[in-house]
Amino acid sequence: MELRPIVSALMRNKAGLILIVVQVAITLAVLCNSLFIVIERSQRVGRESGMNEADTFSIDSMGFAAGYDVRDSRATDLANLAAMPGVIAVTTTNTTPLSNGGWSSVVGLQPGGDFDTREGGQPTAFYMVDENGVDAFGVRLLEGRDFRADEIVDFDQNTGLLADVVIVTSALAKSLFPDESIVGKQIYGVAADNRPVTVIGVIERMQMPWVGATNIEQSTLVPARLNEAGFSRYLIRTEPGERDRLMPQVEKLLQDSNSGRLVRRLRSLEETRDMAYRQDRAMMSILGGTMLAMMLITGLGIVGLTSFWVNRRMKQIGTRRALGARRFNIRRYFQTENGVMIGFGVMVGALLTYGFNAWLMQNFNTPRLPWYYLPVGALAMIVLGQLAVLGPSLRAATVPPALATRTA
Amino acid sequence: MIRYYFWLAARSLRRNPVLTVLMIAAIALGIGAAMTSLTVLRAMSGNPMAHRDDRVYRPQLDNWAATRGFDEQGNPPNLMTYQDSMALYRAGKARRQAAMFPQVFPVEPANPEVRPFQASVLMTHGDFFPMFDVPFLHGGGWNRQSDDNNARVAVISRDMNDRLFGGEDSVGRRLRMDGEDYTISGVLDSWNPQPRFYELSSGAFGDIEDIFVPFGIGIEKELNSSANNNCFADPGNGYAAWLASDCTWMAFWVELDGAGEAAQYKDFMDAYVQEQKARGRFARPLNNQLDTVSQWLERRQVVSRDSQTQTWLAFAFLAVCLINTVGLLLAKFMARAPEIGLRRAVGASRRQVFAQFLTESAMVGVAGAAIGLLLTWLGLLGLRGLYGDSAMGRMAELDAGMAGIVVVSAIVASLLAGLFPTWRACQVTPALQLKSN
Amino acid sequence: MLLMKNLSKVFRTHMIETHALRDLSLHVREGEFVAVTGPSGSGKTTFLNIAGLLETFTGGSYHLDGVDVSGLGDDARSRLRNEKIGFIFQGFNLIPDLNLFDNVDVPLRYRGFKAAERKRRIDEALGKVGLASRMKHFPSELSGGQQQRVAIARALAGEPRLLLADEPTGNLDSHMARGVMDLLEEIHEQGTTIVMVTHDPELAARAQRNVHVIDGQITDLDDGPRLAVVAAAAHAGGAAQAAGAGH
Repeated sequence: MELRPIVSALMRNKAGLILIVVQVAITLAVLCNSLFIVIERSQRVGRESGMNEADTFSIDSMGFAAGYDVRDSRATDLANLAAMPGVIAVTTTNTTPLSNGGWSSVVGLQPGGDFDTREGGQPTAFYMVDENGVDAFGVRLLEGRDFRADEIVDFDQNTGLLADVVIVTSALAKSLFPDESIVGKQIYGVAADNRPVTVIGVIERMQMPWVGATNIEQSTLVPARLNEAGFSRYLIRTEPGERDRLMPQVEKLLQDSNSGRLVRRLRSLEETRDMAYRQDRAMMSILGGTMLAMMLITGLGIVGLTSFWVNRRMKQIGTRRALGARRFNIRRYFQTENGVMIGFGVMVGALLTYGFNAWLMQNFNTPRLPWYYLPVGALAMIVLGQLAVLGPSLRAATVPPALATRTA
Repeated sequence: MIRYYFWLAARSLRRNPVLTVLMIAAIALGIGAAMTSLTVLRAMSGNPMAHRDDRVYRPQLDNWAATRGFDEQGNPPNLMTYQDSMALYRAGKARRQAAMFPQVFPVEPANPEVRPFQASVLMTHGDFFPMFDVPFLHGGGWNRQSDDNNARVAVISRDMNDRLFGGEDSVGRRLRMDGEDYTISGVLDSWNPQPRFYELSSGAFGDIEDIFVPFGIGIEKELNSSANNNCFADPGNGYAAWLASDCTWMAFWVELDGAGEAAQYKDFMDAYVQEQKARGRFARPLNNQLDTVSQWLERRQVVSRDSQTQTWLAFAFLAVCLINTVGLLLAKFMARAPEIGLRRAVGASRRQVFAQFLTESAMVGVAGAAIGLLLTWLGLLGLRGLYGDSAMGRMAELDAGMAGIVVVSAIVASLLAGLFPTWRACQVTPALQLKSN
Repeated sequence: MLLMKNLSKVFRTHMIETHALRDLSLHVREGEFVAVTGPSGSGKTTFLNIAGLLETFTGGSYHLDGVDVSGLGDDARSRLRNEKIGFIFQGFNLIPDLNLFDNVDVPLRYRGFKAAERKRRIDEALGKVGLASRMKHFPSELSGGQQQRVAIARALAGEPRLLLADEPTGNLDSHMARGVMDLLEEIHEQGTTIVMVTHDPELAARAQRNVHVIDGQITDLDDGPRLAVVAAAAHAGGAAQAAGAGH
């Protein structure tokens, strides 16, 4: 089918053509950019924290009474919790992955200096755990050994952190020692007073607490307990399926065992994850909804406009039929016309798409839109257009040739 | 005549209900999406100190590492060190000055029935209240002497007063927290600055602290910030080392009378930093800033990027919806060209045709706008569901000003959509239609 | 009633000037029934559009019922159309969404009559064309002849001084056409001036007076034999005599 007469017929209805072209162009631009953001976010949300999230929860205790001794209380709590049926492991910790709060520093192979001028320095987050830390977090030890009970140090602001050993994630190990095993090596930046610590083990994976962190998998487990302000946090891993039953029991146990403290923030890791990625998931839903609504509106708009155009050209269609056009030719005419319009829209839309992406890049440091989004989006628009024109074109094809000879 | 137009419009809209529903739905969805996102964006872009924007200033000193700026944009650190805050505070070069940092204290209510709980506390100077024009329900803040003596006085929020004292005037009453007794000096009236400009590091959009106590108490108790403590080098062991370190963890604000005093204060800050340089601190080039609240909010980019992106996309969506409606109305009106020609021939003036068709497009527009308002309300409800207690969820509230903006822009947008098709309709010449049937 | 002097109408499109009417003069007196004939493309339609104030003209003058219409704006022309002219179209031009009552109502609405007055006139007009009983029907439910009767009722309802008909029977079979012509004659007898454009000699013959448009000019064919139309047309083509007001 020749395009020229179709294009010239379209040019005679400039207003309609422009409206559809602009609509398709904006829809394409929004579609590509939104899809890009949605996919980026879904990848972000889909990252594994590395720890067992299904069977774990955390709870805080904050002593305030005059005689409250955080070390005694902690020892009692740990013993009580470990003895509960259904609990597999329990550890003290300062934070958990996905909680967006914690302690980070830069570790390196040399002592001294600013954090970022440390030679071979790598950012890392510290998880201050006890000898059950690896077990409670449910992370897999790839190399080396776990902490021993006698390696756990108590510290506060005045003593400084004086641990001798650490366990690191494989990501941090690779960054610090790309070519050899880190086990047995000394690193600086963990312990106070520029003292080195020896890496005794490597775990497979554990994210930093901040979901927005770069180098998010470079975490360090430190065998230490911070004794300050009566604060302690416990991470408890239960047997599969026991978590929800145990959570209120644990809260009650801690509350009842010592009235000189507040028991707060009882939270499963799944809840913690939900909170951490809430904004990303909201953004995904909003953009997804916008994309769908936009495609729907654009599609229905094309159905509506094409229907009017078919009506207006009834007689013309009848004449074509009278002159020998088959139904197929009539259908094809409208489908081609639609394809041409969408084609124009896609061309304008390509500019808008990259313009919007450039704006996002400049203002929000969004990455560049990969090239394949545009052809995929264009294809989606063409399919949408063809779906939209299907009904009207089928109706056009049923116009009887006899219409040509009727006057009204 | 207007009734005739309404009658004709209603007839025409009823004749093609699917099309009418589509047009109204398009406008409503577009308005709903655009206004929902705009509501959040506007709430986030607010400046609660707009009325004192020429008086309240945020000094920032760049004491960061020699080798690296605090952030990629080259801003000074978002917070200040203890020693610098104290130096500026003690110099007293501003009309008012206050340093501040947040912590949490366990509160033990006098009533044994009420269980102890944790309250958020802001350690700050007494100038905080007059400087930020904070409204009091009862009593007031504290004076310089209380600051100097670390007096155990406290100002509590209205919510906290309701919770602890059932809303009574509690000035002079005792409040036990963190193992000590405080005397309540004042109860705040409803005060909820959004963004919470004065202390952004514990969340730009959130409730104010429950309790305010003199700054020095926090130092006496050897506390740091519960929100944000940033170091570029190991501060060393012990609280004294912490206070003497270059770690930043507190906010500092001053009140100055306009740009003239601000310029003088900036000179003072620069002189202070030069003097510190001589002592071996401040390795970076001079990079002090003195922001008004609006500049400060801009610098800290408190408006969420997602909100901005959503607003852009929502307005693109609105554009598509309006263009869609323009197209459909246009096609519909043009299909009625014979009718228009006839009406013109039997004596309708162009203005009358315009009025008739504008009535029809306005009915679509107003219906769309009305449903759009409802959708905005639902959209905000949805946003609160999606975002929960996070910043964007909290900002998804329609205030009176925004409701006005929503109503006006909805009607304007929908009338705009009707204008072009209507204009085209009344361009139909009566003569052409005689034979074209 | 209708006085045109040296009217001309030129369409300019890009490069070409088309003279649709040149130097056309015609006087139709009150109470006349004039048939305007002519081959297609002769300017009949342009003439009718100008006569009905649907189009403006480029040169000459036109007085309608004593009013010089050349300088009038759109609003004034609309008002004149509404008050003085009734139209009957070949294609009936009824509004399909409105029933008969509301169709006839259209010009009355623009006239600004009160509801009671409109109802009276509509009843009367539809009664005159014999369709009073079907006023709630829609145009699509009627035959062509009936539709044209509605269109006539619509034209009459405003009690116009001048009725302009454009091929009023063009879309009708001969039986229906005769009915419509009878109706037009009846209206004429009641005193309404009628100008009717047609290419049908038989129809033209029923008018009082015949004028022939050819090449944008008018030849008056006062009471001449019908056969003369063709001959006159042949003459008129060459000789540009402006046989103006033939009375």
